[in-house]
Amino acid sequence: MTAFFRIIKFALQDIFRNFSLSFMTVIILILMLLSVNILVVLNVLTDKAISSVKEQIDVSVYFSYDASEEKIKEVKDYVGSFPEVNEIIYLDRDEVLLQFKEQYKNNPDILASLEELGENPLGPTMIIKTKETKDYQKITQALDIPEYESIIESKTFGDTEKAINRIQNITDQVEKFAYMASILFAVISFFIIFNTVRATIYSQRIEITIKKLVGASNWFVRGPYIIEALIFSLISLGISYFLVMIGIYIIDPYIAIIFSESNILTNYYNSNIILLLGIQFGGVFLLAMFSCLLAMRKQLKA
Amino acid sequence: MIKLKNVSKRYSKDSIGLDHVDLHIEAGEFVSVVGQSGTGKTTLIKLLIAEERPTVGEIEIGGWDITKIPYRDIPYLRRQIGVVFQDLKLLPKKTVYENVEFALEVGGTSYHRIKEIVPRLLDIVGLLHKKDKYPYQLSGGEQQRIVIARSLAHRPKILVADEPTGNLDAVNTQEIIEILKKINEFGTTVVLVTHNKDIVNQLRKRVITLHGGKIISDEKTGKYRL
Repeated sequence: MTAFFRIIKFALQDIFRNFSLSFMTVIILILMLLSVNILVVLNVLTDKAISSVKEQIDVSVYFSYDASEEKIKEVKDYVGSFPEVNEIIYLDRDEVLLQFKEQYKNNPDILASLEELGENPLGPTMIIKTKETKDYQKITQALDIPEYESIIESKTFGDTEKAINRIQNITDQVEKFAYMASILFAVISFFIIFNTVRATIYSQRIEITIKKLVGASNWFVRGPYIIEALIFSLISLGISYFLVMIGIYIIDPYIAIIFSESNILTNYYNSNIILLLGIQFGGVFLLAMFSCLLAMRKQLKA
Repeated sequence: MIKLKNVSKRYSKDSIGLDHVDLHIEAGEFVSVVGQSGTGKTTLIKLLIAEERPTVGEIEIGGWDITKIPYRDIPYLRRQIGVVFQDLKLLPKKTVYENVEFALEVGGTSYHRIKEIVPRLLDIVGLLHKKDKYPYQLSGGEQQRIVIARSLAHRPKILVADEPTGNLDAVNTQEIIEILKKINEFGTTVVLVTHNKDIVNQLRKRVITLHGGKIISDEKTGKYRL
């Protein structure tokens, strides 16, 4: 226990007596963590953009106006049995008519034609949403069976298939890019931390050798540097988190305008705070400790 | 106390630190090791504190065979041998007091004992009034005295001094030698590596002369002969 307290004392002494070096190390770690958080924010926004595009996509199945309720229910149950299907919205004839009128309320000619017909010419509609855009094709193909040919008048997917495929391609590419960028960032972060710690240890290599020569064990020499890595990680994490929160507070209102949803980033950070801080702290601390132990190997052989 | 049996240290084919050296130093002796630069004096010290290992031969200190000492045991060995390094090896970011204190802290000495020992050691070397200064604020002689105080922290049975007066003027040199003599009088074995002819002649103690990594003379009350 005494040795542990001494190690903490040496760590604190080192931090304050090498203040400029400690300060620069913390600054570099903060910049690195800010870069990681920028990537996190970009990922959240990319995901949001992709999912909001995907939300716009659905398949509408238009039934003939004389299709029986029983048959329509059968189709609904059949479609609902696919695990890929996320949501089915059924609109009966009256609802479809109401929606049609609402849609064309500024077009008196169309509304007049409808009046002239005297009765509702529109059939019920079923709107299907799948979990993934790539699943739409499967659902529409599943509906292309002779049994339903007589009751299904048309499906919208055929018209929008190309657009959906294109969106699917774009979202796939964006996701791939985000994944690659994350790996690149992880590699850059590794080298930044590794070299920062190595430079710190290198600047103190003579002291490390002296400590060994006056009888310090390897853990007595390593200990303070590990405690320093812990302290630097906590300080840089605290400051970078504070700066990220300020940044989010500033940009969230602008993002709300784009996505018509408020506090997207704040909510994301609040609900993932433990995971985000845990991963960032664990990453920085373990990396700093690993770099520290690696950089000291030569001096500890003295 | 210190036994070297047929010890050689080769760095490469052409670079020999020590060459088949047999040496026996008794407890309480004051031995001067002399020789020109590159004759193996510093190699001898490095072997004694296990900073290096012999290529062949055996080294025994206080009955402990340190020839193949495991790395984990080296700190224990170093806490039993006081070393005054040629290049001082003071911790620049620690005060005079802390430099001496550090040697005790690494050995697990309690703070209570440290508070007793360190002021006493600093008093012996005449630096108690400068205990809060940093090494760079002191003269070369004063820095050398911190090193001596630190080397005595564990009350070692052996004190090895590698050119302790190398960069000092005559007055400081004499002071350091007087301190070493006093330490020897208290029963500590002192191994002094030096170039200084006047010191060796004045001491009138055992003198071992090295040349080309070999012991070429070993006299009970010798003189500097190179």
